[in-house]
Amino acid sequence: MFTNALPCRRRFIQGLGAVALNGLLQGGAPHFTPKVKRVIQIMCPGGVSHLDTFDYKPELIKRSGQPMPGGEKEVSFQGANGNLMRSPWEFVRRGQSGRWMTEKLPQLGALADGMAFIHSMTSRSNTHGPACVAMNTGFVFEGFPSAGAWTTYALGSMNENLPAYVAIPDVRGIPPSGPANWTAGFLPAEHQGISFNAAEPIRNLDRPEGVPEPADQATRALVQTLNEGHAARHAGDAELRARIASYELAARMQLSAPEVSNLASESQATHALYGTADANPLLAAYARNCLLSRRLVERGVRYVQLYCASRASGVDGLLNWDAHKTLKADYERHFPILDKPTAGLITDLRARGLLDDTLVLWTTEFGRMPTHQEGLLGRDHNPDAYTVWMLGAGVKGGATHGATDDFGRRVVSDVATVHDYWATVLHLLGLNHEKLTWYHNGINRRLTDVHGHVMHGLLR
Amino acid sequence: MKRIVFLLGTLTAVYAGGPEILQKRCLSCHNGQAKMGGLSLETKADAAAVLSGKLARRVEAGEMPPGGGLPPGERAEIAAWLRSGASWEGRLTLAVRPRAGKDWWSLQPIPASAVGSIDAFIQAKLAEKGLTLSAPADRRTLIRRVTFDLTGLPPTPEEVDAFVAGGSYEQLVDRLLASPAYGERWGRHWLDVIRFGESNGYEQNHIRPTAWLFRDFIIRSFNEDLPYSDLIVRSLAGDVTGKGVPEIEIGTGFLVAGPHDTVGNQAEAFKRQQRADDYDDMVNATASAFLGLTVNCAKCHDHKFDPIRQTDYYRLAAVFAGVHHGERVIATEERKAAHQAAARPIETRIAAAKASLAGLRDGAKPGLEAAEERVRGRMRPPVDSYGTEERFEAVAARFVRLTLPQGGAGGLDEFEVWNEAGKNVALGVPALASATRVADGNPDAYHPRLLTDGQFDKRWFAPPGTNGVTITLPLAATERVNRATWSTDRQRAFQGRFQQSTPARYELAVSMDGVTWTTVAMDAGRMPAAKDAQERLFVMEALDLAGRASYTQAEQELAAAAAALAKLEKLPRAYAGEFKEQVEPVYLHKGGNVMQRGDPMPAGSPSALPGFELPLDAPESDRRMALARWLTSNDNPLTPRVMANRLWYYHFGRGLSGTPSDFGYNGERPSHPELLDYLARKLLDYGWRLKPLHREIVLSRTYRQASDGNAAAARIDADCRLLWRFPPQRLQAEAIRDNMLAVAGVLDRTVGGPSFQLYKYTVDNVATYFPVERFGPETYRRAVYAQSARSIRTELLSVYDCPDSSLPEPRRYVTTSPLQALTLLNHSFTIDMAKAFARRMAASADPVGRGFALAFGRPPRPEERTAAQALAVQHGYPALARALFNTNEFIYVH
Repeated sequence: MFTNALPCRRRFIQGLGAVALNGLLQGGAPHFTPKVKRVIQIMCPGGVSHLDTFDYKPELIKRSGQPMPGGEKEVSFQGANGNLMRSPWEFVRRGQSGRWMTEKLPQLGALADGMAFIHSMTSRSNTHGPACVAMNTGFVFEGFPSAGAWTTYALGSMNENLPAYVAIPDVRGIPPSGPANWTAGFLPAEHQGISFNAAEPIRNLDRPEGVPEPADQATRALVQTLNEGHAARHAGDAELRARIASYELAARMQLSAPEVSNLASESQATHALYGTADANPLLAAYARNCLLSRRLVERGVRYVQLYCASRASGVDGLLNWDAHKTLKADYERHFPILDKPTAGLITDLRARGLLDDTLVLWTTEFGRMPTHQEGLLGRDHNPDAYTVWMLGAGVKGGATHGATDDFGRRVVSDVATVHDYWATVLHLLGLNHEKLTWYHNGINRRLTDVHGHVMHGLLR
Repeated sequence: MKRIVFLLGTLTAVYAGGPEILQKRCLSCHNGQAKMGGLSLETKADAAAVLSGKLARRVEAGEMPPGGGLPPGERAEIAAWLRSGASWEGRLTLAVRPRAGKDWWSLQPIPASAVGSIDAFIQAKLAEKGLTLSAPADRRTLIRRVTFDLTGLPPTPEEVDAFVAGGSYEQLVDRLLASPAYGERWGRHWLDVIRFGESNGYEQNHIRPTAWLFRDFIIRSFNEDLPYSDLIVRSLAGDVTGKGVPEIEIGTGFLVAGPHDTVGNQAEAFKRQQRADDYDDMVNATASAFLGLTVNCAKCHDHKFDPIRQTDYYRLAAVFAGVHHGERVIATEERKAAHQAAARPIETRIAAAKASLAGLRDGAKPGLEAAEERVRGRMRPPVDSYGTEERFEAVAARFVRLTLPQGGAGGLDEFEVWNEAGKNVALGVPALASATRVADGNPDAYHPRLLTDGQFDKRWFAPPGTNGVTITLPLAATERVNRATWSTDRQRAFQGRFQQSTPARYELAVSMDGVTWTTVAMDAGRMPAAKDAQERLFVMEALDLAGRASYTQAEQELAAAAAALAKLEKLPRAYAGEFKEQVEPVYLHKGGNVMQRGDPMPAGSPSALPGFELPLDAPESDRRMALARWLTSNDNPLTPRVMANRLWYYHFGRGLSGTPSDFGYNGERPSHPELLDYLARKLLDYGWRLKPLHREIVLSRTYRQASDGNAAAARIDADCRLLWRFPPQRLQAEAIRDNMLAVAGVLDRTVGGPSFQLYKYTVDNVATYFPVERFGPETYRRAVYAQSARSIRTELLSVYDCPDSSLPEPRRYVTTSPLQALTLLNHSFTIDMAKAFARRMAASADPVGRGFALAFGRPPRPEERTAAQALAVQHGYPALARALFNTNEFIYVH
């Protein structure tokens, strides 16, 4: 199931067009009973340092300033590396489970018991764009469908009045490689992530300026009349019916989308929980996007991809987590923006019972070196080890998969790839990652390429 | 572990899993027939050679199966099974599907002659199912169909009327094939197939400003009906066959039409990967476009379904070993010679001036050290990116101003002003800058507040190229100040990289009222920061008066000559690749891993067909020529078959094979293999020209039949593969947009030239593409001229399934979504087009009739006229125009 049958489907079949509307809305059923119905994927582009957040390395602290044992001065993405460099911040134990985390994420720390960590992630690229695309699509090359597109292709929508898959770029800008991160790739265009956020609505949603409401209604009515006549003259062409239905859906979306984006209807307490009125405008903006994410999944959006930070800029580490030169100052900007709103989102989801069937993913594209860059106080890219976590429906809180060496340079046990990661997420969605395929240019393509093993240890 | 159909015999229960795993995971390649790597694992006897050690090693190392090895549990099980003696009886049977061999249909020769006709082949298959062709389509339908098909544009109402009145269909077809719009339409199809894009893709995704020259080459080739074989030769080796002929040389744009990673990567493995990705793209584009083979599936291991060896992949890669991304000069020999003739005397002048400067410097050498000491003795140290300080007489100030007459290329990370008590009174003051660089997506990125935030990690920048910037600090209170400090890289994070570009000229002033200013310090008397400027000072100091005059004169001559050289008209360049004769060998990568090098590979053709293999050290251009000749040899059965199927696909909306770039095992076998062979043969017989084949297809009864539904036929053949009617089609994205422009009467039919942009393009290290609210008249050209940046969604086009050019796309999907409706209803482009269309209607004596004629090529029915008239009367003709654009009839062709 879930393969594009050959020949490429055309729906000019005989008979009634009544199937058309359904055809636009429904995907298939899962392969087995799912634990998860919807996903919020938080993505922190720039390559979040596992060594300054979630991967506690006492030996790195102890030997900070010394050469990396067995390490000639390695050349990585930007060039030569210096000695080992400990995190500028302390690690503290969080939650009942006593999980070690940086002191700088206190509110997320309070939710530590619900998180399952993968400390052994590896990437196939050491460059932001391809690595972000790899995290989101399974391939370093552009043009492949993102996880959200695969999900909606497999499972369809739960709300006909909203897009099934929404990408929420950060107010600071789009991530490295931009829309390739939420593309439908070669899947049909309807599975494309629709990008908007709390500051910028869906494009082309509103009636154009200068077209009054009655004119708009009358115009659509004529379209409907002409289309009905045309479809009657071409009975049996279901695509024509489907397109008529798409105009009805569009009208409904025009009503529903502004409603979901209207955060004013939320209580003061909720706003305070997320920090939407914070004095830091970047924190407040991300908080509003977090709140928007909850409202979207609450209304049945299947997959939300939520960004905290943006693309690479002329200044490393300013707009995203790419701390090459000034780690301390960079992350002291980024930590607070991530901490409170994300914690607020998780807390709110839990309070509303949404975590019972919502999965929250926290992702980045690669980790960072345990050494500092030669002559600088920042870390270079490290595709050989990074940490991600997940929380929510089906996830065994407190679980850990894999580990890095004493310094976090490389993975030493249970190497995990983006394919293992997505195999696991698809499993939670009730999907067998080897059976979710689409024929393209000679290959039955999968989100997990020809790889991927479900990490059962992370699952309840 | 599930039991599969397999004789387990008397295997012990504990370690019985070995053969099962082999069967499930290994046998698809290592069976008696495929025998990849010379190994079969069907029986224990077959496998004997590897059971003693190699199997365990390769499984343990995760090298087999390719692509990550076995899951850990199965690895352990294999190891345990081998240790326990590898008990194994019977023969493993292949449970997975078989694969194609050299006897595969698409590899068989094309028939020696074309016997039959299109209609005869189609009718024969229909008759087998008791079906027949439909009646001929009416003339109105037919002219709309064939015009959109051949040109991507609607017929004008006048053309429709003339044809309906009895015009000749053959003449119509000939007129359409001769129209420049034909090349725009069919060239666009081909650009999909060969993944032509106008940006680099990957993270930086910068625009390639000269890539459009190749797009024009494609359109021209189709319009001139260049034989397809010549198109292939020019694509692979136009620089060889057409040296000095720009129209031919540009063809090599094909090689580099795909994505290319421009990020400078210092890590060795990733540098190699970037290069491997470049030729992977070339191999994939070449094999999929011309051969319909998925050779790229054999990068890590032999192809699982087709007779393509891993070595075949690397032999093809070796063809492209000397090809690199980039622009090169493409000009006639005369033009190159003329340029050289003009440049040579200037270059001689430059060399002479440089020589006399060097001579004077040499002559000054003996006294240089002393001269330097003297200069340093009387001048102040240069400005320093790590920190520059000015001390001055204490003065009362309410405002402090720093003027940078030459801008600040490196920016400033802090600007501090100190009072007599040694306190930085600038800290936290809201600094005002007369100009600040704005990074798209973040107006705050280089904000002036960074000047006084007490931190040195981020910098304020002036906009590039700005001169005469002022920074003004309104102090919180009147202060007696006597010192100021500023820096570009206080933390030395950039290791002196900004030493040369820290602001060198400055003027520091104070004021009590912000109106009257007193200068307290300037850069006067400072050594220049730039090394060469310093050296010049020392040399001039060391020279005598006459020497100084000579030196200045030589400098002036050098500047004048350089300016003259810059003024010469540049030779034109195009993004058509660069060729390096020093060829870095292409190695086989074991498991596709660039760090696991196998043997260097010679350039050669896929081994499934008779072909060529060149010596390892074959010259770069010979490799591409050899491939071009092999592809276009009349004995190569794939090249004409694949192209014939592509033509059929674009005419009928589906190919005889539904997988136009995959004629292998996973591809779809043709519905009418004899017809496909016939068309391929005809293509060869027509001398590889496409237009005669188009003509034959669109003149066929099969093409000219009606598209009406037929419930009885649909029950037998719902997909209409047998073509019992003409399959209706939705217009492609480009044609929808072009149709709106044409119907609105504003389509600019200029052929060729630089692309227009449907986004706002900005670069701040990486490129960002912003949607624009309004498309100006400069975009009112055919969509084939819209710049196609990779991975970028273009309003209107992307939503209607226009593919991303990151990958080759041999088919267009047709989807229907509410976002399409929202875009077509509400985008400003629709509104603009509706206004233009409305003006056109209103100019007619019968506006509604004219509207229907333009939009649908037919008069309105009475009830349609009534409804349309009512809308127009109440809400104006733009409302009617907007409605017509949004109808199904506007974007479907029957």
